[in-house]
Amino acid sequence: MATKKKRMPNMQNDSWVVIAADSAIDTQKHDSEPAFVRLRNPVTDAASLYMLSGGDVQLFEVKAFEEDFHSWFVGQTVQRDGRLLLVTPMDPLYLMLPYLVKVGKEGKFQPLDQVVMDEDFPGCPRLLSCTRALSSLHHIAEEKEVGGVKFHRYSQEKTMNWLKKKVERTVTVLKARNISVGEGVKSTTYIRVKSESDYRPEDFLRYAHGILSEYLSEDLSKALLKHLQLPELTSPKEPEPPSKKRKLSELPVEAEEDYTKFNSADFARKPPKKMTAAQKSLAKVDKTGMKSMSSFFSPKVKAEKK
Amino acid sequence: MPAVMDLSPFESDNSVSCRLASEIPDVCRTEDCCLGIDEAGRGPVLGPMVYGICFCPVSKKQELKDSKVADSKTLNEVERENLFQKIDESKSYIGWALQILSPNTISTSMLQRTKYNLNAISHDTAIDLVQYALDSGVQLKEVFVDTVGPADKYEDKLSKRFPGIDVTVRPKADSLFPIVSAASICAKVARDRVVKGWSFSEDMGDVEADYGSGYPSDPKTKAWMLKYLDPVFGYPQFVRFSWSTAQTLMDSKGVTVHWDDDDEDGEKGAQRQNNKSMLAYFSASAGGKDQKSTHQTHRFFTERRLKSLDAL
Repeated sequence: MATKKKRMPNMQNDSWVVIAADSAIDTQKHDSEPAFVRLRNPVTDAASLYMLSGGDVQLFEVKAFEEDFHSWFVGQTVQRDGRLLLVTPMDPLYLMLPYLVKVGKEGKFQPLDQVVMDEDFPGCPRLLSCTRALSSLHHIAEEKEVGGVKFHRYSQEKTMNWLKKKVERTVTVLKARNISVGEGVKSTTYIRVKSESDYRPEDFLRYAHGILSEYLSEDLSKALLKHLQLPELTSPKEPEPPSKKRKLSELPVEAEEDYTKFNSADFARKPPKKMTAAQKSLAKVDKTGMKSMSSFFSPKVKAEKK
Repeated sequence: MPAVMDLSPFESDNSVSCRLASEIPDVCRTEDCCLGIDEAGRGPVLGPMVYGICFCPVSKKQELKDSKVADSKTLNEVERENLFQKIDESKSYIGWALQILSPNTISTSMLQRTKYNLNAISHDTAIDLVQYALDSGVQLKEVFVDTVGPADKYEDKLSKRFPGIDVTVRPKADSLFPIVSAASICAKVARDRVVKGWSFSEDMGDVEADYGSGYPSDPKTKAWMLKYLDPVFGYPQFVRFSWSTAQTLMDSKGVTVHWDDDDEDGEKGAQRQNNKSMLAYFSASAGGKDQKSTHQTHRFFTERRLKSLDAL
């Protein structure tokens, strides 16, 4: 180009591309606008972004679809932030639970507005305005009314039952949407064409539990797993089971020569070779439960020296 | 414009390949003919490659030689134009045809998934032109062509493709056979005109005309390419993207590009996708004792690239 295009300085991003349910932005019933709000994430215990519709009627979670190297063309401008934000309805009870659980340890009945409070998150009490919040509390807490004032106490038993129902509803959707829930090979490149009947009921339960656990504290997640009667999975298995060893002779096995004699001071590691296509595919795959090829072969038989 | 070579079919779309041809002289349909093939613009990184054929009755070989059209040592553009003028004036017994291969055609052929290399393009183009002559009723008996790749192999290939025609493949054929020299003139004239009159489909403003010889080794050509290199889109279609000079310059001066299907170090690739890298399976700390602090997002979300946000 004869005159090199001037690069626009990167501006602070002030717009995003969002997909949201109509209910999120419906301002007909209330004068106020929907608002993004930071609240405590039950899983991480740190701040996450949520949204409350006008009048705090409904709670929504905010997720971002994010991949490398994306930007948006919006009209005639380029928006550097290439994420796609998704705003979806969320049950406010999930966010209220941690507070109830914490206070529940004391075993006392308390008024809700004294329970759902957070120093770090002043927007927290707004959850109580959600339509679903107060009417659904009985799913997770025992209620008592004294002098026109409602008191609540966290109930693990009720919560477990409520969560189990959530799990079951999730399983129904997983089946209806044909989501792959198998514990086997989870390759990002391999598209499974299994039908629902190829999975065990346990697979669906575990998967649904996994999704729900994104909204629960670790303790609750573990308790739910027990309640569903699913054993805890151990951490990833050993990469290889111990290979079969057969002793062929009573003589001690020794190195035939000193292999270190080839080492030198400037012995440089070869740069990692580029992986073949097969190795690349293998790298993408979850190998829990898979045996390595070498485990199928016993070590080479060494000829005995005379 | 002196002699008649109507380039408008090519100029209307200079991103594709185009055939131009003269009228077929009547005498070529009735007498045994010889045909010469040559090309212009094979080596440069800019502009089209042009394949040309020229044919005339075998009986007119001497007349051709006498007209000095055979003087292929002529290097300059003006003299070539004059020679083409002569060829045009001899249209009663000389016919010609050209295949203009746009730089875009060359780039895309050489860069497509099943690589179509320059030699293959050359062979096919030459064959197509000879076939065109045959289809037009030219009574071909002899074909003379400069070598592209090993001479004997090429001669074999063409002989098999055109049984009944005497094929001669020789290096430096344009100095040995006047009919080849004539073809060379046509091809060169076409290339020169196309390059001179190149219309940039890209929005370039005033383009600096002086790009040197157009050969990749020419520093002037390289400087021109650097000047017109767009950091994102590369070059105008005037440039052959498949030339290593072009690619090297793009790699060093253009923005870094990551192509998903590039071979990528497995470790980096895994990290990029937030997958567990293969090495994690071999690390000693696979015990998971303090995995409390790091919550592993469920794969339903990671597989769909969904993340929570803590702020906008």
